[in-house]
This record gives sequence, structure tokens and C-alpha cells, in this order.
Amino acid sequence: MEYYLLTARSITHAQRMAQVLERAGIHVQLRRAGNSITKNGCGYTIQIPARLYRRAADALRGTGVQPVRVIHVSGGVSEELAL
Amino acid sequence: MIYLDSAATTFRKPASVRNAVARAMQTMSSPGRGGYRSARAAEETLFRCRGIAAPLFGVEQREQVVFTTSATHGLNIAIKSLVPRGGRVIVSGWEHNAVTRPLHALGAELVVAQAPLFDTEGAVRAFRDALSAGADAAVCTGASNVFGFALPIEAIAAACRSAGVPLIVDASQSAGVVPLDFTALGASFAAMPGHKGLYGPQGTGLLLCAADAVPLLEGGTGSASLDQEMPPFLPDRLEAGTHNVPGIAGLEAGLRFVRRVGPERIARHEQALIRRAAAGLQSMEPVTVYAAEADTAQLGVLSFTVRGKSCEDVAEELARRGVAVRAGYHCAPLAHRSAGTLEGGTVRISVSAFSTEAEIDAFLRILHGILAK
Repeated sequence: MEYYLLTARSITHAQRMAQVLERAGIHVQLRRAGNSITKNGCGYTIQIPARLYRRAADALRGTGVQPVRVIHVSGGVSEELAL
Repeated sequence: MIYLDSAATTFRKPASVRNAVARAMQTMSSPGRGGYRSARAAEETLFRCRGIAAPLFGVEQREQVVFTTSATHGLNIAIKSLVPRGGRVIVSGWEHNAVTRPLHALGAELVVAQAPLFDTEGAVRAFRDALSAGADAAVCTGASNVFGFALPIEAIAAACRSAGVPLIVDASQSAGVVPLDFTALGASFAAMPGHKGLYGPQGTGLLLCAADAVPLLEGGTGSASLDQEMPPFLPDRLEAGTHNVPGIAGLEAGLRFVRRVGPERIARHEQALIRRAAAGLQSMEPVTVYAAEADTAQLGVLSFTVRGKSCEDVAEELARRGVAVRAGYHCAPLAHRSAGTLEGGTVRISVSAFSTEAEIDAFLRILHGILAK
């Protein structure tokens, strides 16, 4: 399974990203995230199917609501993307 | 009960507010902590509430809408963020202890921009004069909680901008009745309670933030938990601890009510009631009424005194007959000093969207009966 995780600095930040994406027709899942993802303790991520990532990135870029980190996950292997 | 103490708290709330609080207690747990349904429901409520408040008050980003427990809480954050120990602060002559006590605790030099009651032009002139010498901050109430004097916040904010002095607005009595465009004002902070003109429950408030804020409390935020510094971003920076979720759910419903009815319409209703009350009081010989000549200078608050009777006695006799008012200094000795009522204080009546002409008429009849004895 391939997907992307967009990490947020707070629940409010995650909700803002989710709102932007929902309005762009991308249904997202808000998930709690641990230190292995946030690198800073507790936080939130938005999980997006890989096929929708490009569209999601464009939607967020257009509103200026950007994730703190973007992590690509494929076959259980995670890789952080340079923003 | 004839409730005329809405400046203390709007006792009568829309049914939607009561229902929202009850629903929250049954369906919502802690936001920003868990990933399950009741936590999500709480998170969505907070997100929605900020999203309603932001456009209502001219705030660009909902993260700038910080939940507090009261306007006092918000004012303490704002004042302690801007004012250094011993700093110079300009205030109006009508400020509440929620402003003057934190400033006193900081050992601040208070410069009172003094102007006569209901003199809006005088208030602006006084601020301009005081600002010419500079200051670390200026604090101004949107309206006096004792006299209902609606200060010309836009003109005062413009003067502060020109002088480069950050402004804190105490919107305790004006939020929900006087339109507030926070971004246009260029203020650094605006604090308001949720339980007065916004018809939410007690224990809620909003602080609108445009400047860097120093946390009043450090603690858990559900974010960046490995970092021992409070998060540098809003709203988390100023929201340590578990939120008052039922309160915020009620506040959301209150904000929807104010948005639906319209602050201007609520203000017109309240001002008409106060004019009615003032006219009736002015016909009673031993009564001194503190009423503005211009409608726009006074909101839904009115103070009076009775020659030969203490204001506490008057209030007590009214209470015995089912009329709820407040007497004394109303936690605003500076306002009483400015108006010349510091010796004995005043009796204050204050109305809400739910107050009626019949209640005002009944209050006047009852007071007349008390004075006739």
C-alpha cells in the first residue's frame, strides 16, 4: 500500500489542511501521530492515497496551508520528502 | 425575576446554547488527545467555533482566535505579553480591574487618558495627547461596564497606529453589540468573555491575537510534546490544559445566535430599552441618572444613584421585589473616579437581547414604589 502522510504542528493545523483538501474533493483521514513521524512528540497527520498526492499538494500550495513534513510510505518503507 | 444584570452575565441564553452544552457533555471528550469519535467531535467543535468567530470579528486566520476562560484571562495574557515591569501604559478613564489590576501587579506607570463621561471626541483627544509621549501599550475598553459609555475604538486605534503604540481592546461589554473588525483596527489583542454579549456559558472567552504572546500557563497542548517550551504557534501557545469543551460548544451556539440576529440589531434593541429606563428614572426626583444625550455613546448599561439611600440598599430592596441589579463599584473604581461616583458607587441596570419593555416598565414601577415609602 502506498500513501503519503502530511504532518501538522497541531490539531488546528491538521484540521485546516483537511478542510482545504475536502473542499478540493479529496477525502482525507486525520490520524494521531507519534514521535517516529513528527520527531517532536505527539501530533497529527493527514493520510492521502499516493494517487491523490500531487492534487493534494497543489491544493495546499494554493492556499498557503502547508504541512510541516511530508512522508512517503510504500511497502512499509518511509521516506521523508524535501519540501 | 426581572433580570437587569446582563453586564455581569447574560443569564438568559438561547435554547441552542443550553442544548449544545448538554450535547457536548454527552458526546465529546478531550480534543487534541485521542483519535476516536468523541475526541474528534470535540476537535471539530473547537475548529468550528474558531471558524465562526474569525469572520465575525474580522480575524484573518482562525488560529488567531484563542480560547480563554474569561476576558480577564485574555487581558492578563495580552497585558503581560506587551507590558514590561514598570512600563508606561495609556488607559481610558473607564477601565475595569481586569485591566488595572494586572497593570498594578506589573508596577506599570498608568497614564489615564481622561475625558468626561460620554464625550467621545474628548476621549480621542485625550488618547492622542497621551500617546504623543509614547507608551509600551494602550488599553481601551469598548464600553464602560458601569456607565455603558461606548468609546470610539476605531479612532483610538487609529491614533495608536499613528503613534506606533500597540493597543489592547477590552471588548467585554461591546462584543456582540458593536461590530469589531480586529484586522482593520490594527490592534495587538482583543479580549472578550463568552458569557456576556456572546451568550455562551460562563468559563469561556476569546482572545484575538495579532502580536506575539507570552503564555500565562505552561502545560500540555496535545502537540510537540517532546519540546519543553510551549509551542511557538497559535492557538496552542496560549491553550495549555484541557479545553472547556461543553463551554466552547455553548459559545459556538451563542456566536451563531449573535451572527443570525446581528450585533447592530441587538444594540438597537438594548439602547432603546436603556433610553426608556433613563427617561423613567429622570422623572423620579431623588434619582441622578448617568445617561448619554447621543444614542450612539451608550450601550445597554445604565447607572443611577438615589439621594439619601445607599446603592446597596436600593439594590437589596429591588432584589426583594424580584428585580436583579448590581450595586457598588462594579470592579471598576477607575470608572467611578472618572465619573465622580467614587464615594458611594452606583446602582447599575444592564439589558440583553432577551430583555423587554415590560421588564423595564416593571422595574420603574417597583423602584418608584420603593422611593415613595
